[in-house]
Amino acid sequence: MTSLLEAQNVTRVFGGGLLQKGHTVAVDGVSLIIDEDRPSITAIAGESGSGKTTLARLLLGVIQPTSGSILYRGDSLTTMDGRTRKTFRRQVQAIFQDPYEAYNPVYKVDQTLTTPVRKFRLAHSREEAQQLIEASLRMAGLRPEETLGRYPHQLSGGQRQRIMVARALLLNPRVILADEPVSMVDASLRATILESLVKLKRELGISLVYITHDLTTAYQVSQNIYILYRGSVAELGSVEKVINDPKHPYTRLLVNSIPLPDPDLHWGGEIETKASAAAAPLPKTMQGCKFANRCPYVMAECHEAPPPLYLTEDDRAVACYLHKSSVPVSGKEMAESLATA
Amino acid sequence: MATDTRVLDVRDLRVSYHTPSGPVRAVNGVSFFLRPGERLGLVGESGSGKTTTALSLMRLLQESAVIEGGEVLLDGVDLLQLSEEGMRQARFADISLIPQGAMNSLNPMLKVGAQLRDTIRAHRRGSSSRAATDVRIQDVLDSVELEARVMDSYPHELSGGMKQRICIAMAILLSPKVIIADEPTSALDVVVQRQVMETLRRVQELLGPAVILVGHDMGLMAQFVDRIGVMYGGKLVEVGPVRGIFKDPLHPYTQLLIQSLPNLRTKEDFRGIPGLTPSLLAPPPGCMFHPRCPQAMPRCSVDVPVLEEIKPDRWVMCHLYDGVSA
Repeated sequence: MTSLLEAQNVTRVFGGGLLQKGHTVAVDGVSLIIDEDRPSITAIAGESGSGKTTLARLLLGVIQPTSGSILYRGDSLTTMDGRTRKTFRRQVQAIFQDPYEAYNPVYKVDQTLTTPVRKFRLAHSREEAQQLIEASLRMAGLRPEETLGRYPHQLSGGQRQRIMVARALLLNPRVILADEPVSMVDASLRATILESLVKLKRELGISLVYITHDLTTAYQVSQNIYILYRGSVAELGSVEKVINDPKHPYTRLLVNSIPLPDPDLHWGGEIETKASAAAAPLPKTMQGCKFANRCPYVMAECHEAPPPLYLTEDDRAVACYLHKSSVPVSGKEMAESLATA
Repeated sequence: MATDTRVLDVRDLRVSYHTPSGPVRAVNGVSFFLRPGERLGLVGESGSGKTTTALSLMRLLQESAVIEGGEVLLDGVDLLQLSEEGMRQARFADISLIPQGAMNSLNPMLKVGAQLRDTIRAHRRGSSSRAATDVRIQDVLDSVELEARVMDSYPHELSGGMKQRICIAMAILLSPKVIIADEPTSALDVVVQRQVMETLRRVQELLGPAVILVGHDMGLMAQFVDRIGVMYGGKLVEVGPVRGIFKDPLHPYTQLLIQSLPNLRTKEDFRGIPGLTPSLLAPPPGCMFHPRCPQAMPRCSVDVPVLEEIKPDRWVMCHLYDGVSA
């Protein structure tokens, strides 16, 4: 395995110092590895407040970790030299949730595509630039003649999002971080965009980190999934195992809450009755499992120390004492084994 | 089925928005009805006219929108013909709305209790004492699983799910016959969404109003409603029982929509609908869907299809079913 992009036990705290009041631990000791040799789609799933977007911003180098580090090809983002940083900026691209906010409404969409060509000197002539732009639009499933020369408001949400994919492709990236790329796109176009993301992996060998609250689309596109709860990994593993047979009580709650588009498959399983528990702030002197106050299976030890990851199968680990008969595994070991599985 | 009892009967509703580039036909001849106590889903993509339809029933459209025609009969009374004052009284008392992003529709400066009391004072026909009002409010809060103490809270002190429950409480406060819920859970996480929807269902079953659930999430529809109306380009293209819509969709658009839904059985099997939604400024001639329709025939680009009942309780607007009738 060659580690391409890696989070090593990363923690990010907002507000106050680690020991002061009022701080929020948005990401808490998360490790993740994308393998250079094996293009993959890794889903990071969680609800609002789970830290998934903070983790994405850490991986992009937009914000710095409070502890731990983000490595690109083994170099830490915080200490890498300017030249390496420029390579990183080019090879790791992002697609965000709102395909409208990413545009300047008074410029034609062309500007979104010509700027990276200019900044990264991707073309030597105007013609070459035009060819490059048209090729990447086609790769994203757009017809250049129907796209170029338009203003953002003249295009549909799906088209705008695909232009963002095209923009990312221009730079010939190795990794794309997609943060809720289809949550604002209509159902009929959603499938088309997800398909073009999967094609990037299959045909161009680009790895994706797919960040979402939607377990159904995560299941559709990814091989591995990390379930985040309040900044920590609750469960991680192959997406089939985690979604079809969730082991962490939180994952189970999430999976049971998915409204399946089938009137014969009713919302099943246990439902949380404490309506306010989800939003209750964690106690200040939190020591144990963050899910303990909502967990139907809570035990005494859950309040004492945060549970380590237990390796329940080769390709899945669960941070829950219900599985303490399995071998504990570190986040890094697990991330490595998933990246190479 | 002329013998159907209908609590709400919407006939040939037409609404346009006036824009600098010309009128936009957002709702173009929509007809449907609601049986007492039933849950009807109104689904469609952005721009399909579902929210405009919902807001027209409440007469709460933006100023640029004009209701150009049609009838909205609530127990036989045409809401579109009521005076402003008559309509104001009908809101909450006869027909109420849980608006989109309802959690942001509460007044941030007023305690929840004051807002609930205001609703009763402003819309109840006849008067009642403060004590009676508060008893009613507590009953309703109890039915949406909130403690009475939320009355003393400001909205910002409550979670999104709790605010959503307050909006449900407000909608049922005066026991209306019809509740319109416009994407009531779109801003909520999936766990809370399920809790809120199950609360709404329980309250609805207990009190018996009919509900129109407006939204684009087919999963939520499958879990919640009895019948579904599918909107496309300002028109209602199919109406039928939820099981029929999912298992045996009739309109080519509904068929493609159902196929495009992701599930937890297959992977990497994506079936989007090719093409784009129609421009409402310059709609295509004939059927709104014909430019994207895999089954389009020559007449589809010429003749406008009509919504017809082709078998019991199955309504569809498509030339494929010409000559078929229930």
